[in-house]
Amino acid sequence: MKQSGTSIRLTGAVQDLATEVVSALRGGDHLRLAESLSVRDETGPPGDLALAAVRVLGPDVLLPAVLRIVPPDPDDLAVVRKAVDAFPPSADASPTSRWSHWAMRHTLLRLDPPLDDARTDGTEPGAGWLDGVPWQFLTHQLAVLAPLALPADDSALTRAARHRPVDVARGFVRAVRRRDWLQAAGAGRWLTLLDGVPDTLGLEGGLEFVAQMGGDDPRVALQVQAAQLLRAGAAR
Amino acid sequence: MTPTEALITETTEVHCADVEAALDPVEADGTFRDSRECAALALSSGTTSLLLSPPTPRPKKG
Repeated sequence: MKQSGTSIRLTGAVQDLATEVVSALRGGDHLRLAESLSVRDETGPPGDLALAAVRVLGPDVLLPAVLRIVPPDPDDLAVVRKAVDAFPPSADASPTSRWSHWAMRHTLLRLDPPLDDARTDGTEPGAGWLDGVPWQFLTHQLAVLAPLALPADDSALTRAARHRPVDVARGFVRAVRRRDWLQAAGAGRWLTLLDGVPDTLGLEGGLEFVAQMGGDDPRVALQVQAAQLLRAGAAR
Repeated sequence: MTPTEALITETTEVHCADVEAALDPVEADGTFRDSRECAALALSSGTTSLLLSPPTPRPKKG
């Protein structure tokens, strides 16, 4: 499928942002999202493309703070809040879009609780669209929503994933064999959080392989880095 | 609405559609790995054996 010019620019902006997040996860650098808002844009309103990139990358923009690698930066939080407000899911939005938006609000509340009860993360979207779906589709959808794979988070989505660890493992293998590195990395991240994953999967080696083969894409590198950090955290 | 405002509105609308598309991507076309490559991966990653499982069925043509 041919991408539009805007879509190509957006993909590039998302990859740039993912690179920054990976750098923050590895070295503890701050993202300086607010600065990127003023310099990234070429065609739209100031910051529009950068804000869209924040919305697409979702709650992973704040992953370094969620994993307590860096403290939450008030300017970064403000940018994420702006992206959440600028790109709400449309009335006919996909479940993945709704979950991503909910997760961003949820993460903001987690890192920056309001002084009053005025702000909430809203009603959690349902996970019924995943009921009884084939494992291939389940894995694809979970991989798209890999930023929601976080320890200690309990949502209908995480419960749906927990019920089907073997199916997600099968999906991970399928993604590797199809060379779909982004899906493999996202599925691998979920698998680090699930009980009942077959030992024979060799997740650790598989993730290293995915990083080696697909790590040139910063989005893949981000998911692998997140998975490895979650795995290391779970092992402690 | 001035031309500039119209352009901004149009650009933002494009972004909204592109954002939605990016948040709901179709599955990428995949190239199935040869089992021998998976065997090499399995050998290089210790106890891995699941990647040696029978190949995932390929989509039928036509």
